[in-house]
Amino acid sequence: MEIDREDGRTPNQLRPLACSRNILHRPHGSASWSQGDTKVLAAVYGPKAGTKKNENAEKACFEVIWKPKSGQIGKVEKEYEMILKRTIQSICVLTVNPNTTTSVIIQVVHDDGSLLPCAINAACAALVDAGIPMKHLAVAICCCLAENGYLVLDPNKLEEKKMTAFAYLVFPNTTLSVLPEGSSVAEGEPVEHGIITSITHGVMSVDDYFLCVENGRAATASLSAFFRKNFQQSSSKAG
Amino acid sequence: MAAKVSVSPTSLLNQIVVPGDVVLDLSNMNNQTIKLGSGLLQDNDAISAMGAGKLSYSKPNKYWLESSHKRYIPRPDDHVLGIVVDSRADNFWVDIKGPQLALLPVLAFEGGTRRNIPKFEVGTLLYLRVVKTNIGMNPELSCTEASGKAALFGPLRDGFMFETSTGLSRMLLNSPTRPVIEALGKKLSFEIAVGLNGRVWVNATAPRIVIIVANAIMNSESLSGTQQRIMVEKLLAIISD
Repeated sequence: MEIDREDGRTPNQLRPLACSRNILHRPHGSASWSQGDTKVLAAVYGPKAGTKKNENAEKACFEVIWKPKSGQIGKVEKEYEMILKRTIQSICVLTVNPNTTTSVIIQVVHDDGSLLPCAINAACAALVDAGIPMKHLAVAICCCLAENGYLVLDPNKLEEKKMTAFAYLVFPNTTLSVLPEGSSVAEGEPVEHGIITSITHGVMSVDDYFLCVENGRAATASLSAFFRKNFQQSSSKAG
Repeated sequence: MAAKVSVSPTSLLNQIVVPGDVVLDLSNMNNQTIKLGSGLLQDNDAISAMGAGKLSYSKPNKYWLESSHKRYIPRPDDHVLGIVVDSRADNFWVDIKGPQLALLPVLAFEGGTRRNIPKFEVGTLLYLRVVKTNIGMNPELSCTEASGKAALFGPLRDGFMFETSTGLSRMLLNSPTRPVIEALGKKLSFEIAVGLNGRVWVNATAPRIVIIVANAIMNSESLSGTQQRIMVEKLLAIISD
């Protein structure tokens, strides 16, 4: 029995994606990412000389500032900042520019569900626009569980409220490779089978969680292809 | 233009890659010394891309990732435009739009001795050469050629400096000369200095010539050759009225 979504999508279908880079004049890299009606603007400044106190001076340091659409900055925003900072630290090559600080500023333009994955995708696109060295891209997706046990990807705000549990998952992107075996291997498994970040809300069983991860990973292929096409288009225009 | 390197069935040369793409497999290329330029990271036998850009190759053995950004990564033997931010006993601190401030030794001038140290105020624009860059250390600059001659390096007086992306400054320094500069040069006389770090300085006798040249260069980034010539003709037609 298929679950009925209000906007007529199938359970595994994502909302229309749109991404534009280099849209702001002052920051060194900027991107706007929208999934359906959820839209987030990300700006990157850096790398600038000097790290903050208590940070390792042999590595590059990242700071994230999250600006909500309205209201004061509270605990929720601080949590998002910490999640984003950890995710960015794991995808960027920290040893290329030691003793520098890179600032990532996220501005929420509109929140219609699946906000954190949208912000992670926008931050990733802005980091690439600024030329910050990265090991691979981070592709984020929201996966949620309805009462009757059905899995739905990329919910909007109304769907999110009705769900019993949801998970934000961040995976590395699918990469092209000239290696014969297809992709780089870390500890015996391809890097693409890894997961970077996972945040869950609500109660779900272990089996349901693994099902979420599988469905989410399957959807990252289309998100990675979208990223790649976006870069190719903008690069060929600027040439 | 790119030679086919026998790496594997699918070669990514001259294609746009995204971070994470493995672009070269070293296990197939034995007994070759390869030079890796900017944007490529070595992970044992696999070379992967660190940013998004076009994978480029030049004989005999150089690979690099070509991309255009607002910040500059210093490389030795690049000519850049720097702004003095501070002066110390033996170094000037110069901003070259990179991750770190760069150092210009006080003696790095032609015929420079302790007795004739130049006095640069904070904010002076200098045309410089990058001498060495090491990870973790501030880059070092110099106002002389490798042989010790001055050769046009040094402070740039008057004129107007504006910032561009590194890609545009590379295109401006390529040969053959970019159509926009050629077309402007046929009608106007001006002086121009291009730094690979995304800074361009223009000087001319009249301010409006400076403004036209600066605007024309800034607008020409995404235009093709003929479009640039048309744009320049339109601009020149406006001012000759």
